[in-house]
Amino acid sequence: MELMGIEPDRLHFSWISSAESTKFVNVVKEVTEKVKAIGPNTHFIKDTAKVA
Amino acid sequence: MTLVKIDKSNWVGGLTAAADAYRLYGPVKEKDYHQFKALEKDQMPDLDMVNTRLSPKALLFPQSEDMLEYSLDESRDDHHIMKEVEKDYAPRAVVGIRPCDAKSTLLVKLNFDTPDVKDPYWLKAYEATTFIGVACDTPLSTCFCTTAGCGPYNAEGLDILVMERDDDFLAKIFTEKGKAFADIAGWDQSCPEEADAYMNGKQAAEARIVSTIETGNLSETDLLELHTASFWDDIAFSCINCGTCTFSCPTCWCFDIQDEVHGKSGVRMKNWDSCMFPIFTVHTTGHNPRDTKTQRVRQRFMHKLKYFVDKYEAGIMCVGCGRCVSQCPVNIDIRRVCEQMNSFKPADACAVQG
Amino acid sequence: MVGYTEKIKEIAGRLLKECTVDMVIGFRKGTMPMMNEPCFATTPEAVDTLVWDSNCGINLANYLTNRKEKVAVVAKGCDSRNIVTHIIENKIKRDQITIIGIPCTGMIDKRRITGLVAGEILDVSETENTIKVRTADAETLFDKAEVLQQNCALCTHRNPVIFDEMVADAIPEQEVTDRYADIRKIEEMDTEGKWQFFDDLLRPCVRCYACRNACPLCYCPTCFVDEAKPQWMGKGQDPMDVRTFHFLRAYHCAVRCTDCGACERACPVGINMRLLTRKLEKDCQEQFGWEAGLSLDRRPALDVYQANDPGAFIK
Repeated sequence: MELMGIEPDRLHFSWISSAESTKFVNVVKEVTEKVKAIGPNTHFIKDTAKVA
Repeated sequence: MTLVKIDKSNWVGGLTAAADAYRLYGPVKEKDYHQFKALEKDQMPDLDMVNTRLSPKALLFPQSEDMLEYSLDESRDDHHIMKEVEKDYAPRAVVGIRPCDAKSTLLVKLNFDTPDVKDPYWLKAYEATTFIGVACDTPLSTCFCTTAGCGPYNAEGLDILVMERDDDFLAKIFTEKGKAFADIAGWDQSCPEEADAYMNGKQAAEARIVSTIETGNLSETDLLELHTASFWDDIAFSCINCGTCTFSCPTCWCFDIQDEVHGKSGVRMKNWDSCMFPIFTVHTTGHNPRDTKTQRVRQRFMHKLKYFVDKYEAGIMCVGCGRCVSQCPVNIDIRRVCEQMNSFKPADACAVQG
Repeated sequence: MVGYTEKIKEIAGRLLKECTVDMVIGFRKGTMPMMNEPCFATTPEAVDTLVWDSNCGINLANYLTNRKEKVAVVAKGCDSRNIVTHIIENKIKRDQITIIGIPCTGMIDKRRITGLVAGEILDVSETENTIKVRTADAETLFDKAEVLQQNCALCTHRNPVIFDEMVADAIPEQEVTDRYADIRKIEEMDTEGKWQFFDDLLRPCVRCYACRNACPLCYCPTCFVDEAKPQWMGKGQDPMDVRTFHFLRAYHCAVRCTDCGACERACPVGINMRLLTRKLEKDCQEQFGWEAGLSLDRRPALDVYQANDPGAFIK
């Protein structure tokens, strides 16, 4: 994805078990912060098809 | 029909003047090939090419084209109404189209402009377009237009046909549309004395075509016999069922209709489709009458060289541009197929008839 | 690769005469310079049309999928690795195929040669190391090494990894110091640059699917782009859809692609889509130490979970 031109901070991976609620909260907070820091995504978006 | 002379500066000047009244399209160089594109201000069509990679059919028939649109957003006045997409059919002119591609517009018109059914998108674009062709003096060895119903100086489908010489152009104006364009461009220097030079150019170009096909037997050969001929497996084997031949062909006209929805709005669009694609003939039941490769390959060549011939009696559905021949990834050659179809004799024909 | 043609004919003729196979898949001479057409022979007489030269870039493993008969197929190094993948993925059985192995010195790049020569190319002929290109006005000689397809110039598996008969002795493998120099260059660009790079690369795409159809790995009965219920993506020319098609197809080929170059060769508009598949190949090599199609016994890296699979990216 990074090669394509999506900022690396937009895609995150984490192992979280359903018993790890605290970890879940922390990861969500961290991801939200990181994504907000890079701003709205302008790239891989399709609205209505851009055609003739 | 008038013959006019246009010297090189008048060509540029004329096109520049015409650009005020027409949106101009012409061949433009991209990397190592040419494509038809809208010309920018003061951009001239690049005639230093034999032909474009893809045909100019996209100018009348874009690969993806919106037809209808709607919005469910109730704050809009036109909500829940499906309406035509606004299109711009202001006059346009294609400068630098080759006679083969110009003839193809007439073949496509047979399909899109019938007494019962008309394709309004194609027709409106067609009627708004003036076609200024450039004759083909250096054909490729894959060009076989002269035996495919046209030729390097063929006039069909053109409003003006231009012959390029070292210092000037000779242009034949055939139609009212052509005359209107020439008037705006200021191309009015009549030169009847050059008629021989034009004729000589035409004959010389036609002599340079080295590739030929024979189509004389296609209409008499029995359709069902051709359909069950044994050579189709051999022809179809290498085909990978991509869309290259259909997309580069100026006479292929099939399209698919797709609805695309985004949130509260949507469009209905048409996209080029290809009879080569496996899902081309899939029914809603899931049944596919042409689910093998051989059936699809056979259908394409039968359409081009037999069904069209029978239905319209206007020759074959091919103008000899050679694009499919040079771009097919596995080198399936329509010239070879045509030869096999044309020389086909049904198995039970008696020796006397054969 | 001089002399390969005769050997192929001999082997094919014998296999058909002895009924070891029902069909031999190979190439016949094309009608255009630098093109050969895949064909099949079902009788010993028909093998006379078979040829082999540096224009046999199409991957014949593509024609093996789901075949029911016993077939012989002519396979170079990359093709043979695709045959291994086909067998592992149950698209053909090992005992159904007789592989005629070709130690391959590389295929020439049709587009490259056309760009290097002025005027229409009328004929191309070759000797072991030279390519002669004839136009109406001139004849140009090239060193074969100068005009190889890019994947052939970087190839490290020229000899078939699986075969029943070889048409010649094995040839030495090439020493390639850096297979991924061009991928690294893209990786070093900034995000905007990368986005723009692929925008430009994919702009000419006409969704003809020649790349997908030429690829032996793309054999799904219904490809994701053709699905309608649900429809994953648009079929038109919207740039996001075009990009999605290419990227998603590359992902589906990850870990399985042998860099045979058939996709690039088939593309009518000359898109260098191997940049995508090779990035995944690079990652696969670096992270799993895996190269596709080398062994019938090992399961592909993405099929199997191992304790030491890379996991540093998962927090």
